[in-house]
Amino acid sequence: MENKEYDVIVIGAGNAGLVSALTLQKKGKKVLLLEKGRVVGGLASSFIRGRFEFDTSLHQLCEFGTKEDSDAVYDLFSRLEIIDKVSVETLPEAFAVYTLDHKEKYVMPVGKDAFLLKMEEYVPGSTKSMEEFFSLCEETKDALSYLNESKGHPETEVLMEKYPRFMVVAPYSIEKVLKKIDMPLKAQEILCSYWSYLGSPASKLSFIHYASMVYSYITKGPVIFKKSSHAISLLLSEEFVKNGGTLKCLTGVKEILTQNNEVIGVVTDSNEKFLTRHILANLSPNVVYGQLIQNDFVPDKAKSLTNLRNFGARGVSVYLGLNKTMKELGLENSTYFVYHSLDSDREFKRMHDVFSGNLAATLKNTSPDTSSLVLTSLIFGDAFDKLVTKENYFEIKEKLAESLVSSFEKATGMNIHDAIEEIEVATPVTFARYTGHPEGVIYGYLATSHDNLLPRIMNEENEVFIKGLRFCGGFGSRLSGYSSTYINGEMEALKTLGEMENERV
Amino acid sequence: MKEFKIGMNAKLDMLKFKNLGEEREKEIEKSASTSVKDSSLTNTLAGILHPKGIKVQVSHIVKETEDTKSFYLKPVKLESMPPFLAGQYVTLAVTIDGRTYKRPYSISSSPNSLEMYRITVKKEKNGIVSTYLFHECEVGSTFNLLGPFGHFTYQPLRDSKDVVFLAGGSGITPFMAFLQNQKFLEKIHSLTLFYGAKSEFDLIFKKEIDEICSKNKKIKVIYVLSEQKRSDYAYGFIDEEKILQVGVENKSFFVSGPIKMYFSLNEIFKKLDIPNKFIRHEIFREVPEDLVEQNFQLTIKMNDKTLTIPCNGKETLLQSMEKGRVKTLAHCTVGECGFCRSKLLSGEVKTEDSCVREADKEAHYIHPCVTYPLSDVTIEVPIK
Ligand SMILES: Cc1cc2nc3c(=O)[nH]c(=O)nc-3n(C[C@H](O)[C@H](O)[C@H](O)COP(=O)(O)OP(=O)(O)OC[C@H]3O[C@@H](n4cnc5c(N)ncnc54)[C@H](O)[C@@H]3O)c2cc1C
Ligand code: FES
Repeated sequence: MENKEYDVIVIGAGNAGLVSALTLQKKGKKVLLLEKGRVVGGLASSFIRGRFEFDTSLHQLCEFGTKEDSDAVYDLFSRLEIIDKVSVETLPEAFAVYTLDHKEKYVMPVGKDAFLLKMEEYVPGSTKSMEEFFSLCEETKDALSYLNESKGHPETEVLMEKYPRFMVVAPYSIEKVLKKIDMPLKAQEILCSYWSYLGSPASKLSFIHYASMVYSYITKGPVIFKKSSHAISLLLSEEFVKNGGTLKCLTGVKEILTQNNEVIGVVTDSNEKFLTRHILANLSPNVVYGQLIQNDFVPDKAKSLTNLRNFGARGVSVYLGLNKTMKELGLENSTYFVYHSLDSDREFKRMHDVFSGNLAATLKNTSPDTSSLVLTSLIFGDAFDKLVTKENYFEIKEKLAESLVSSFEKATGMNIHDAIEEIEVATPVTFARYTGHPEGVIYGYLATSHDNLLPRIMNEENEVFIKGLRFCGGFGSRLSGYSSTYINGEMEALKTLGEMENERV
Repeated sequence: MKEFKIGMNAKLDMLKFKNLGEEREKEIEKSASTSVKDSSLTNTLAGILHPKGIKVQVSHIVKETEDTKSFYLKPVKLESMPPFLAGQYVTLAVTIDGRTYKRPYSISSSPNSLEMYRITVKKEKNGIVSTYLFHECEVGSTFNLLGPFGHFTYQPLRDSKDVVFLAGGSGITPFMAFLQNQKFLEKIHSLTLFYGAKSEFDLIFKKEIDEICSKNKKIKVIYVLSEQKRSDYAYGFIDEEKILQVGVENKSFFVSGPIKMYFSLNEIFKKLDIPNKFIRHEIFREVPEDLVEQNFQLTIKMNDKTLTIPCNGKETLLQSMEKGRVKTLAHCTVGECGFCRSKLLSGEVKTEDSCVREADKEAHYIHPCVTYPLSDVTIEVPIK
């Protein structure tokens, strides 16, 4: 056995793992990044079929902005000194949402004023409440930065004085707040179309969580990476190595070693042992507490919390390489939501069925005569587990693809079938294979009352159950999504750095 | 907007805000501290469908023609082989004289019978592995098998219900899995199989094929012999005229055979304006024509060690690594799967990069299985 010591070991090279490893390495720490897969990125990757390269997961990136009007991820990439190598494309509209039951269609533009105008057109009389919504968003954004700066110990006086309305709305769901500001129901529903990106219905999603995302998408515009998410994952990993970091792919961690409830090291699946006092785990607490640490050494409270939580969405993605351009297909939008109705509670229930037909789609031209369309459908609960066997797996996969393509065709009224040149389908089994996440979950834990953004952030420090062991990524305190996991990666890295400094004192 | 009110007053709101954390604490107290769930059937299934490697044993061997043999492979430890789709392949890892070679073989048995896989191997003129399998491999021999992999499969959403299979020589193997797959046959309207070989004695599986055809009216077989004239067989190569006889409008073509056949068929497809979506190819490696026999050094950086081996302008870097006894992750050996992905640190190469991601190309990643050296070369390879 080889014995090697590191300041920090990061387990998993997903978005958060990559950012945290690079952040710490740039701060002069000796970091080991262990990834069980062949390539870095986790869900943020890409693959090739025929003449198409597909992004595995990104539909829209939030919190980016532009050089002149930058948002959190832009700023993060600037701090990491990689921003010059990141090329993005700002999408022309926020989203187009279609309903299957009533054949509705709403296309929402980017830009606050344009958004308000369009909403007024669809729902006359909505402007006043929409303006109030935006103003609440602005206060929320400022309050959140304050909370962030105060590292979980905000001063009551400051909060009450500077962010009184934030204090009022913070404990409530987006649905409740929109109702309270008398937003017409239809406007509420259209505004909440993005709910499936966060994987929880409007009645369960905390206002601040939803509002921060929507506000960024509408005011700064959603972006995608020009090359692919793999390009960014690769860039982060190469910078990490350039800065002296040690990256080992094809190296899964099979055990986290602890002593007196403190982290002391890890053992890899090829029985190499590495020592450290600080671990950042870019994977689920379920796997860490259920598999990587011996049960006797896992504090009861860690188990209780983990057992309390519900998994978020599993997903199915159908990747289509089309031999027609968007124009030839008769489709002009890049982001589509297709639901049976705009009632997110009802749709959330419906999506406990594997074949709900609800989906989010992203469409782009890939060459002068081709385009790619990715259809992603979420599944909640254990429906997929109950349905699938090794005998029927391939058939279910086929049926899923069929159901999503026809649902998209039905909603938009356009023919996709005839243009399909390449097709690949990813199911929860695929995501489980590539990430190791339980049940192939892609959205971490379900955002709901006690497990919403604020309670997670507020209690985070009390929930470091084993000294030196922190979590980052989609199962972490900022929940899932590209921007959340990037930002959370840096946050957790800085907290780890803080712990190291405290130790020295 | 001071009048914004949800709670009773600001103090209460503050309380409610602060309570968010405490409520979570209370919920945790109520929750059981039993051991934590870390996986489910979905994870188990991922393991069954994509095993890290399967130890198999040769259960019997059938000589199909003068230069082809079928090997029936049964799992040593597993209860059954993993489910696969007709058209997929496995990679056989064969160790000869201390050198491990990986070679892809299409599964030629039915997806419905998973007690064993059948692979069918044609003896190649200078083939190291095929010659070994043909002459040395016996019943009871064990191998490590990787896979199943591959995208040479039927996709109802993409492919036509009228299908044409074009097989050349041992390229018939993946089609045998299709022909024995009831589910596939139910999905399609018609299937024409062109099967080209030198003579009737080189037709592998002829009896099997004829039997399947006689039971299913959807299937039509046209044998094409290139070196033997017989009135009941077509003569020559699978060419434009023969293809036009069955019609090309709205049909999906699946091609599996020697490289020469790919090229000549591609010309025909182009001429007939058949869209890409209707042409599927079994994986194959294109060997560039202008390769030069010249000796170079290949330096390989792995995790913590570095080693240097000889390589040659006429061989892929992967072939040199196999010869040099370097353990590789290669699976498909034809540039498609990405398992051998390595970073080119220095040197000039000639490479087929059609399956390399755009960002990888820019960062100088290559697939050594389809890369030839033009100078001394240094690469960094991931290693398990
Ligand atoms: C189909 C789909 C569409 C999506 N669309 C969007 C979108 O449009 N916008 C958006 O913002 N987000 C989207 N997401 C969500 C987003 O992709 C994820 O939230 C984000 O990529 C998760 O990053 P992460 O840091 O949690 O790491 P993960 O991607 O979960 O990576 C974890 C890494 O840890 C590794 N690992 C696990 N166990 C071990 C171990 N024991 N040892 C070593 N390594 C280990 C895994 O191999 C993996 O590489 C989408 C997700 C999916 C699947
Ligand atoms: S072995 Fe598959 S790409 Fe090289």
